[in-house]
Amino acid sequence: MPDLLDSPDSGRGDRPLTAGLDLSFHETINPNHSLTVAAPTAAPLLLCQRVSKWYGPVIGVNQVTLELRSGITGLVGANGAGKSTLLRLITGHLRPDLGCIQVRGWDAWSTEARQHVGYCPETDAFYEEMSGRQFVESMARLCGYSRREARKRTEAVLERVGMAGRAERRLRGYSKGMRQRIKLAQALLHDPELLVLDEPLSGIDPVGRWEFIRLFRDLAALGKCLLISSHELEELEKLTDHIAIMAHGRIAAVGTVAQIRDRLDNHPLLIRIDVRGHSHAEHGNEREARRLAAALLKLRDVVGVELLDSPPDESVDPVLVRARNPQRFFQELTHLVLEEWYEIARLETLDDSTQAVLGYLLRGCSA
Amino acid sequence: MYQSIFFFCFLFSLSFLGVLGVLAVRRAGLSQTRAWCYLVWLSWQRQARASQMVWIAVGLLAFAVALVAIFTAMGAWSMHYWRWPYRQGPTFLQWADEIQIVMSVRDSSASGQGVQAALAAAVRGIVEHSGFAIFSHWGVFLLFLSFLLPLFNLSFATEALGGERESNSLIWLLSRPLPRPAIYLGKFVALLPWTLGLNLGGFGLLCLAGGQPGWLAFRLYWPAVLAATLAFSSLFYLMGAWFRRPAVAAIVYAFFLEVILGNMPGYMKRISIGFYTRCMMFDAASAFGIQPERPDIFLPVEGTTALAVLLGLTIALLGIGTVIFSRTQYQEIV
Amino acid sequence: MGESRNQAATPELLHYRPWRGAFRPPIASVWPIARVALMSLFRKWMFWVIYVLGLLIFLLFFFGQYLLSWAQTQAGETEVQLGGWGRTNPRQLIQLFRGLLKLDGGPQTYHNFFSYQGYIVMIVLALAGSILIGNDLRFGSLPFYLSKPLSRWHYLLGKGLAVAVFINLMTTVPALLLYAQWGLLESWDYFYERFDLLLGILGYGAVLTVTLTLLLLATATWLRRTVPLIMTWTTLFFFFRLLASALVDGLRFSPRWRLIDLWNSTSLIGRTCLGVPPRPMAFANQPPWHEAALILGGVSLLCLIYLIRRIQAVEIVR
Repeated sequence: MPDLLDSPDSGRGDRPLTAGLDLSFHETINPNHSLTVAAPTAAPLLLCQRVSKWYGPVIGVNQVTLELRSGITGLVGANGAGKSTLLRLITGHLRPDLGCIQVRGWDAWSTEARQHVGYCPETDAFYEEMSGRQFVESMARLCGYSRREARKRTEAVLERVGMAGRAERRLRGYSKGMRQRIKLAQALLHDPELLVLDEPLSGIDPVGRWEFIRLFRDLAALGKCLLISSHELEELEKLTDHIAIMAHGRIAAVGTVAQIRDRLDNHPLLIRIDVRGHSHAEHGNEREARRLAAALLKLRDVVGVELLDSPPDESVDPVLVRARNPQRFFQELTHLVLEEWYEIARLETLDDSTQAVLGYLLRGCSA
Repeated sequence: MYQSIFFFCFLFSLSFLGVLGVLAVRRAGLSQTRAWCYLVWLSWQRQARASQMVWIAVGLLAFAVALVAIFTAMGAWSMHYWRWPYRQGPTFLQWADEIQIVMSVRDSSASGQGVQAALAAAVRGIVEHSGFAIFSHWGVFLLFLSFLLPLFNLSFATEALGGERESNSLIWLLSRPLPRPAIYLGKFVALLPWTLGLNLGGFGLLCLAGGQPGWLAFRLYWPAVLAATLAFSSLFYLMGAWFRRPAVAAIVYAFFLEVILGNMPGYMKRISIGFYTRCMMFDAASAFGIQPERPDIFLPVEGTTALAVLLGLTIALLGIGTVIFSRTQYQEIV
Repeated sequence: MGESRNQAATPELLHYRPWRGAFRPPIASVWPIARVALMSLFRKWMFWVIYVLGLLIFLLFFFGQYLLSWAQTQAGETEVQLGGWGRTNPRQLIQLFRGLLKLDGGPQTYHNFFSYQGYIVMIVLALAGSILIGNDLRFGSLPFYLSKPLSRWHYLLGKGLAVAVFINLMTTVPALLLYAQWGLLESWDYFYERFDLLLGILGYGAVLTVTLTLLLLATATWLRRTVPLIMTWTTLFFFFRLLASALVDGLRFSPRWRLIDLWNSTSLIGRTCLGVPPRPMAFANQPPWHEAALILGGVSLLCLIYLIRRIQAVEIVR
């Protein structure tokens, strides 16, 4: 096993040498003190293979396979989609029940893996009695740096996150944005190859957001790999083209936003529409559903329509529609319903993951 | 003999801990040792910042020491003012004098007089040298061993990891490139100055305030206090790694199981830490007539056996705790 | 037709609609607060270890009374030989046995039951303080309560009610069950003849409820964190108990020193409420009950004053 004082590029395989965070970082930090441990050069930076994690009977992450080598990857999903669980698994705070996660070839649970990872957790707990500077310096000392080196790195990262002049106050008096900056600062301390950032932009004002986005881009330009989670696709779109959308514990889609849209367009979506007829006649209901089915078939994106049997206790008739290009289909469906005044009791996509992806994409477009 | 055995074992335990810690961190590289040392320092400091707990502990200790000092000044550590019937009749010494007078009237022979004088002298001797026995029974066994020692250990040991878990700040330690066994052992080493300081130092102060019998008690009992502190600390510390609410488990153990098990007849009591501590104390003070009230029921073990059990228990509990901490996923903190 | 159809099918757009019912007075919020607090006490699985111990004590009394009563009815009138001690009637022997074990439906039975259960209650309350109140103050749940139309008094009343319900569930209610069981086992006359015991049980329960509730509210509001609260609570109820015992039994100081033991003081008042006969001379090393009542009253008053001051303070969170 190589010594800890190895050069920081020793674990980066064939990637160009980028020892510090940026020029200013170079000036203050001795790269020989970086904490990188060598590993098989061919190993991807992050590899998740069919990872599943249960919380009792609830599945948090379901069969996720992911490989990251560089750049910024956005992880988007609704609350409870499994983003934070996946990030905790990657940072070695949780262990997968099935599958494996490796960071540069090391098991994510191992100490060696943590030397490659900088983690900015979602949790808002600190050593509240310390000042921001003391906290970051403590974290540096816990990485194994000498006092002098720890101070240098502390000043450099505080400067980087825009907290150099404000880090003397006690942490318990910090605003949400300042706390986020301190969390980010401690994640950058040991110059990790992989930065895992859980909701780093939440609670930050618009100016701060732009600063953070610029910082993330700079880090990516230096060859770092960033995995950033967020609720908002719109926010991540400004930062990266590479998005993974999570829904119900699964990676529902990976790629650029445009690629995801294209793939959705080509993938027929299964939609169930429950139509309520007029109360005066039982036959009326049937006619209403048939009328809708006929109208739907005229739409250009609809590839099939099926009339289902009515549920016994409900006065609705379900219609099952298969459609491509969901965005255009839903626009046309809306027009159709409003023009012809169908009474829709329920509308749902039957593929949960697709629905989640669709929800994000549609929201992103409308914004 | 105790002291030498103890010193040997204590030094062995400390070096064992140190070696374990260093071995654990050497896996990852040299500068990790520095990180581990800083972790010990940081954890020690953070315990000091749990100010409420520290102040309550210090306040309680000061209160106990002040009380003992007042009693010492009043000459309370003696049976010379004890009366029979309770609080009303003559004192024990008066009884001895009166009995001697009465008996001398009944039996005026020289041999009878001699026996009576010897009996009276024995009673006076017992009464005048009763200070150590009373201090041991009421000051050491009842107040210190039954309450202060478990409470100080319980508070600081459960808070060491439990406090970090409760405030969700454990995540910062677990995110650092330090092996988990090293974190566990490092925090335990940081805990020791607190528990040893409060228990051994506190016991020293209590004995100092106790005057002559107090000093004798300290000379005889300190190895037992030290061994009990190590065992209790490692047990409650383990609870901090294991349970989400370690204080609940610790208080149930300290004030239920220790009391119930410690007073059970037969061999059941041998699974309580307090039993072995008492055995060490009884063994150390046997020359002064200190023994269990009912040795046939208490069934004490040898002092050296008790010491070996307590130190072995400390090491075993630390080992178990290290394994548990290394394998546990602390879902609540992330 | 088209127009009417359009009107009929106009979707009811979702919009905010204020609640049109009448608000109940703030005092109605006390029980929901207490209910939530109680649920949080009963949800912790580790506490169930302690509850089970309490249940075991109750079952010991319950079935002890039942079995001895049943054995007495089964014993015949014939006399049996007791080794070399002579002959005796088994029924009288069981009666004696019941008297010795204090499972005879007398005041001592209930006093013993309260004493044993009290130990469990003390332990749970030491732990419950931070869960019931401390966490609300530490983790910022108090503003959630106070953002509702209720005052801090209602909040504290709710928490206090939870503590009171818990104490009574552990002590008074099972004691009443034992009382009812004894009446049903023996004869209905027991209810009439020993009606004073019923009042005694209620009185003892009330003393415990008022004192412990106020004390817990005050200490939990003051200390908030679990471990300091446990340290203080155990000091009050275990250390002072040991100290009082050391002072009075060990060092032969005045029995008045027992007044520092609050649990002993509640027990003394309980004995008075139940009418437990005074102890024999050799053990009469207890202070008079009215001094104990004075101490408990003083402590409760101090707690109340502290709570009033805390409630009037501006700062409420963190």
